[in-house]
Order: sequence, then structure tokens, then C-alpha cells
Amino acid sequence: MASVAFEGVTKIFGDGTRAVDELDLHIVDGEFMVLVGPSGCGKTTALRMVAGLEEISSGAISIGEHVVNDLSPKSRDIAMVFQSYALYPHLTVYDNIAFALKIRRLPKAEIRRRVEEAARILDLQPHLNRKPRALSGGQRQRVAMGRAIVRQPQAFLMDEPLSNLDAKLRVQMRADIKRLQSDLGVTTIYVTHDQVEAMTMGDRVAVMRKGELQQVASPDEVYRRPLNMFVAGFIGSPAMNMLEATVERRDDALEIVVGEARIELGHATVAAHPALASYNGRPIVLGIRPESLEDAALVADGARHRLPGRAELREALGPDVLVHFSIAARQAVTDDVRELVEDVGDDRRLERLVSGVGSRATLVGRFSPDTRTREGDTIEVALDERSLHFFDPHTGLAIV
Amino acid sequence: MGIRLLGLGARAVILVVFAIFFIAPVLWLILAPTKSDHALITSSPFSFGSFHNVAQAWNHLDAYSDHLYRRWIANTLIYSLSATAITLAISVPAGYGLALGKFPGRRVILTLTLVVMIMPAAALVLPIFLELNALHLIGSVLSVILPFSFFPFGVYLAYIYYATSIPSELLDAARVDGCGEWLTFRRIALPLAKPVVALVFFFSFVSNWNNFFLPYVVLADSNQYPITVGLSNLLASTPSFNPAVGGGGQSVNIFKPELALATLLAVIPVAIVFLVSQRALVRGTLGGAVKQ
Repeated sequence: MASVAFEGVTKIFGDGTRAVDELDLHIVDGEFMVLVGPSGCGKTTALRMVAGLEEISSGAISIGEHVVNDLSPKSRDIAMVFQSYALYPHLTVYDNIAFALKIRRLPKAEIRRRVEEAARILDLQPHLNRKPRALSGGQRQRVAMGRAIVRQPQAFLMDEPLSNLDAKLRVQMRADIKRLQSDLGVTTIYVTHDQVEAMTMGDRVAVMRKGELQQVASPDEVYRRPLNMFVAGFIGSPAMNMLEATVERRDDALEIVVGEARIELGHATVAAHPALASYNGRPIVLGIRPESLEDAALVADGARHRLPGRAELREALGPDVLVHFSIAARQAVTDDVRELVEDVGDDRRLERLVSGVGSRATLVGRFSPDTRTREGDTIEVALDERSLHFFDPHTGLAIV
Repeated sequence: MGIRLLGLGARAVILVVFAIFFIAPVLWLILAPTKSDHALITSSPFSFGSFHNVAQAWNHLDAYSDHLYRRWIANTLIYSLSATAITLAISVPAGYGLALGKFPGRRVILTLTLVVMIMPAAALVLPIFLELNALHLIGSVLSVILPFSFFPFGVYLAYIYYATSIPSELLDAARVDGCGEWLTFRRIALPLAKPVVALVFFFSFVSNWNNFFLPYVVLADSNQYPITVGLSNLLASTPSFNPAVGGGGQSVNIFKPELALATLLAVIPVAIVFLVSQRALVRGTLGGAVKQ
């Protein structure tokens, strides 16, 4: 087991595409690092460079003490789980798992011992003599994992290994992989497009965008204190609501003016964002997580701020209710927001964003299941100002 | 209802007419050795003679020039199998390299392969003859085997197969698992190429078996002839086809039934190769490799 380090790593493809740009990232020994970002952000390219499947244009990648730039994949002692599993179709499950050990000419008894151990861990014993085509998706995925763990490599590289499984199986495999990794303690780099996987599995999460690293931190940190609008919008589902707003000073207090509403910030909030004062009279982007919004009828605490709105859509999820409602304010439309909407593939929303936003913005709130809100109702939404996020509309950076 | 029936009837008539048109000559050929030369003309074309006649036709054919017919079949097998073996050894790795390798000149080689593929073999006979002559190979076994060992169509088939049917992640997985380029080919790409190996084997074998012009030009000794050249030689020395050679003091017992048998027997190895390779062509070898 070893640490993995990217130092100023850049990858430029033949057509001039800069897939990874000056990536600096240190993954400590035994860590579970998740690389997350929208498609085309360079996360898979970064992973393939560690594997040696993609050449490095500049910079250095080290595994343990050694720079591996010029080593072929077979000399890097890493194991990889592919998105498509890439099982050898002409070999049985046993031979698939044993393949790398046979290539390394380990003694037969040792190979058998290791394969059987892996099969036991992954519940594959009954399937050892079957060919991959006779297996279900989940079983194939486990064989791919088995092929990685028998190697006892320096590091695991996983390229969206769960994206081909159905939702229920994915939840289970997510937990299984996490448990397996912490049992084995092998340094792992896990690439995913799915922010739920990123949040639940990683010791740390590295958010990438267009080849550039945006933020590296614990899942909790990335969620609570995103460094910029892109990270804020990418992590969290439903996504953070983003509104155009202005900062105004009234007497001693700071107020955020959003549409017709004014939100007075408490001392704690101002103390947490000292730079906000310098934005007096200037526009900012206000970020509100859906869970910071609640049906005002259910909130006893009168101190909370209230936004008047109209309920447009109600989605009951069971433990909570997502209410889409409009308020008199303007949706923030920046490049980050556009890219995030594009990534989700929401054409209608993209069209609305690009064609200019009206005087009303649609927000999503995560309400308690007790809410009686119906579509078309005029409602009041309570807002917890302590959990607001503020961004500079020009740089996209968080104002702290 | 009436129109539907009429349509069905018209379709059936067209199918039957075409079927008869194509099947009749084959049926005639199969039945011909069962009849005597005389009966072949006088009796109904599709009547069955007797197995005795088949045996007699074989005895006549086999006796021709001291078992020369067997010699031709053996020659053809040697030529075809040797050239096909070399073809397989060359074209499968070549197609793999062209499909998945990254090296300068790849496109040029691919285009050249395609150009040579669509060039008629007969067009190359003269330059090949001159080349073989310069190498002093005219008249040797190699003069038939070597020119047909390069089979561009085989390279093309292997190229198409590797470019479309083998997911590159599979080869990446092998590399990460510790294989160098040779082992990746040997342990993963080659075993997965069974369908295309069968296909190349079939096409190469058939084209070698049916090869006529080049051996006709480069071989002089009738003991070295492949079956194609042999059959034309047999035709030329049969009194019923070429009255000029008739009689001549020597009795040549080669008549139409013997010729029909000779032709029929010459097709059998190709039919066997077809049946054998067809089994290996069945799809599904790649099932389960990657999620579709």
C-alpha cells in the first residue's frame, strides 16, 4: 500500500483538448479518495494516468516513493475496476480472478488460496466455474472487485464501478465497497459522476471541472463550505437554489435583498462571512440549500425569515416533501449554473435559463412530510439565514 | 382475400422457378456418376442409375495416369493448408495491430491493404511470375504457396473484428493485470478472435482451393498440379470433350460420369471446411465481457 501523488499533472490530447490541467493532489496511504465531477471534467483521464493507460503530458505522478510517469501499467502494481467491468469473457470466474496472479507466476497453491479467499469475501464461491456471461450485473461487478483484491496492490483504481447497476444494488454495493476498502486499508482512487457516492464513500472528495481541481476536502466540508458556486451546485441533491441578490447595510446590520424580500443577517452569520461587509451595495449570488427551507406553517420559531411564494409542484418522497415554489426574485445564471444544468441534461430548464429569466425564480424546498402545501397554494417559506451561502457573481468564489 | 391468395401463389411460383433453375444443375451433377456415359444422354436427366456405376467411375478415374487424381487432391490440400496457416499467422496479428495499435503510417498501411484486396488476383499473376522467376522458385511448391500466403482480405476481416468487437477496456484490464503487449494479444485478444480466425480460415482455404491461374502458369509437372489445374487437364485429355486426343492407341476410360465424379469429389473438402468453420462462427463468444 502506498500514497499516490499528482504534481502539476497535465494531459493534452492529440486534438488539443486539455483534459487535465495542472492537477495537484496528494492521496495519503490507505485513504479513500473520490474524484467527482460532471462528464468531461477529466476525472477518468486522471485515473487512467495513474494506471499508465494514458500518457502524462507534463507533471509527475508518484506511487509511494517512486515517480511512475515512464512505467508501463504492468509495472505499477495497481489494480483497476472498470466501468464496464472488463471481465475476460473466455475465462471462468476463477480464471478471471486468478489471471493477474498467473501472469505473475505465483505458486498454484497460493493462487488457489487467494482466489478462494476473495470469493469468500465477495460471496462468489458458487460461481467460480461459470463464465461471465452467465452472471448477473451485480455478480459481474463482484468478480471485477475480486480481480482487484487478490492482487494486494499498492492502490485500487475504480472508474465508476457502480454506474451500470440498478439503484437498489448500487446502494448495497456502495456500502460493500466502502467496508471492503476500510478492512483492506488499500489506498483507493474512486471516480464517479454520482455525488451521492462521493458523499457516502470518500474519506475526502476532490471535485473537478474542465480538467481543473475545484476543491478537495471531507464530504462534510465540501457540502457545508463549498469554495465556489460550481462545487455548491454540483454537490447536493436537489441542487442548491441560486438567486441574484444585493447586500445592503441598514443601521448596524447587513441585509440581503432578494427580489422583494429582505433577509437580515444575524451576528453569527456576519461573523462567519466577514468579507460580506465589503460587498455593501453590490450584487452577489445567494445560495440556499433545499433543507434550509421549510413550510412556515410548521415552524414555531418566529425569528426565522419568511419568503412569500407560490407552490408549483409537490413531490412526496416519504421522509420529506420536495416543494417547488416561485418567489419574486431572479434566478442567478452564471457559467457554473449553466454547466451544471447542462450536465444534468435538463434541456427545458436550460432553455429557460438561456432565454432569460423572468421576474420570478423557482426554488426547491425540502419540507417536513407534515406540510399541507398543495400545488397552486400561496405559501410562506421559512428560511434559516445561518445556513445561507454567498458567492461573488464574477469570480464564482464563496464569500467568507 | 382473393388478392392475398393470388399474391401468395405468385410468390410461391417465383420461388419455385428460381429454386429449380439453381438446384437442377447441382442435382444433375450429383446423379451423373450413377449412370453410364450412354445412359447420361438417353435416360431422364434426373434418374438414378446405380451405385455400381459410381464405383466403376471411381475405378476409371483412379486408374487415370497411375492414381494421378489422388495426387492432385493431396497437392491441393498441402498448398491450401500451408498458405492458409501462414495467412492466419500473419493476418490476425496484423489486423489486431492495425485496429488497436497507435503508430505512424497506420492509415497508409490500412489503405494499401484495402487497395490490394480489391485488386483482381489475375492482374498480379504476371508480376508475381516475374518475381518468382527472379527468385528461381518457378516450378517449386513454394511458387504456389507463398504468393497466396498474403491474404489482404483476411487482414481486413481481422481489422474490422478487432476494431468493432473487442472493447478496449478489456485489453486495458489485461495490461493493468500485468500483461505486456505480447501477452495481452496472446492471452486475451487471440482467444477472443475465434470467430474471425474461423472466418479467415474459411475464406483463405476456399480461395486457395479454387486457385487456378497462378499454379497453371508456374507449374509444369502434372504431378504437382492442384485439383483445379488437374481437372482442366483431365477435360483436355478426354475423348468425349476433346476428340483430337481420342483413341490414339491408348485407352483413356474418362467419360462424362468420371468427370462429374472428379468435379464432385473436388468440392467435398471445401464443404467440410465450411461446416467446421461455420460452427466456430457462431456469435456470443464475447457475452458478459462488458455491460452492453
